[in-house]
Amino acid sequence: MNHLTRLTSNGPIGTLTLNRPEARNALSIDLLGSLHDRADEIARRDDLRVLILTGEGKSFCAGMDLKAVLGDDKTAITLLTMLADLCVKIRSLPLAVLGRVNGAAIGGGCGLVCICDLAITHADSKMGFPEVGMGVCPAVVAPWLIRRVGAGKARRILLMGGLMTGQQAFDTGIVTGLVPGADDLDDAVAQTAERLASGGAQALQATKNHLNNLDGSLDRDQARQGAELSARVLALPESRARLQAALAGR
Amino acid sequence: MLSKEIIGSVCVLRIDREAKRNALTPAILASIRQTLDNAMSARAIVLSGVGDTFCSGFDLSACRDDERVLPELLLALQAACQAMRQHPAPLVVSAHGAAIAGGCALVAAADFAYTTHDARIGYPAVRLGISPAVSAPLLRLAVGDGHARERLIDPGVIDGREALRLGLVAESLPSTSRCEARAIETARALAEYPPHAIAYTKRWLNRIDGSDNHDTASAAVEASLSVAGSDEQRAMLALALSPRTQP
Repeated sequence: MNHLTRLTSNGPIGTLTLNRPEARNALSIDLLGSLHDRADEIARRDDLRVLILTGEGKSFCAGMDLKAVLGDDKTAITLLTMLADLCVKIRSLPLAVLGRVNGAAIGGGCGLVCICDLAITHADSKMGFPEVGMGVCPAVVAPWLIRRVGAGKARRILLMGGLMTGQQAFDTGIVTGLVPGADDLDDAVAQTAERLASGGAQALQATKNHLNNLDGSLDRDQARQGAELSARVLALPESRARLQAALAGR
Repeated sequence: MLSKEIIGSVCVLRIDREAKRNALTPAILASIRQTLDNAMSARAIVLSGVGDTFCSGFDLSACRDDERVLPELLLALQAACQAMRQHPAPLVVSAHGAAIAGGCALVAAADFAYTTHDARIGYPAVRLGISPAVSAPLLRLAVGDGHARERLIDPGVIDGREALRLGLVAESLPSTSRCEARAIETARALAEYPPHAIAYTKRWLNRIDGSDNHDTASAAVEASLSVAGSDEQRAMLALALSPRTQP
């Protein structure tokens, strides 16, 4: 299943790519498993100081594989727990993580953007958390969005649902950098990655670790509780009906 | 003193005391709480105010006339804000014209708030010897620690555009009518969502962002109560309300 992700490196800068473009990089059990393996691999390496997280093709990540979620309740809790654990795992890596948000980042995909230390997108990308409109509770991503934009804005964004443009994601602070078009992304990402790589590895690690402790990023219990809540809500008949209707309407 | 209108599945509450610029009494705050507790089936709630002023804060002459009123107001404000947070439906505030002190606390307790460009928003209460600490826990969640500190320490007020910049409101509008219309429009859109998804999400947010922290909430109201009725507070309030200093 390792074809589902790709890890490359160039000096101290690694790039982890979600490689399931035919499904807009939607998070399946196999893709999440592959991301876990890659994150473990990165944790064992001592040559990397920056990790670029991106998606192959036109999307960054379309979120949870909803068809798989509708399949059975067991798949849902497995997927959600794997996502919750992955977020904590990537956040714990002792390197600067830079999101290269090449296109749509939806739901759990937008959650992956929030766990990055920095993230850059272009003005036309589609981002956001449409979960409530589909009868789903975005409990796994909620703590990460709060850490990214603050509790007040996170509340409005999650309760209002829907999608926003890259420009709006930049204005609300979900991404930290914005370029005009998709073609401008690589230059900005390369420049930022090099700047991030110019710092001392130990200083970066100490700083990141401190921030993670301050803002509760390493609270795995809370992450797991979010996965359980989200799975519980997904199993309700009213959620399944809404979700089926939303998928049919696509 | 609190009017109620049902628009579809949206419950619109308006503080209805225009002659007193919707100044808050313990009865109004208790009524907000009770009405919310009795409106569990509403899909979205709007809290607004009749006339051009959403809320000018506590009824100060009532506080001066009876020393028991200020502590009652502080406790009732806390209870009303908690009822707004705990309600399963999203709560939208139309904070047109002014949201002063206790009025600003109601804005901070909302899930969504709108205001007008000309609004006066903030906590001049410290000039009356009253501590706005009761509002601190929810205000810091709404705008972050730095902005909350500035607003609670500085008795000056800000306008709608500045409130937008701080993130206290979702939007600032040019007029009272457009502000309330926008709040109702948002509430109607939210009312279309599956109510269980909204309720679970709101409850989870309350839990993880600290809204549910009772110790924090009690400490905040205790801080405000600790100076209510002090010599300083009574003297400053009497001076502010004396005919000589009335504008």
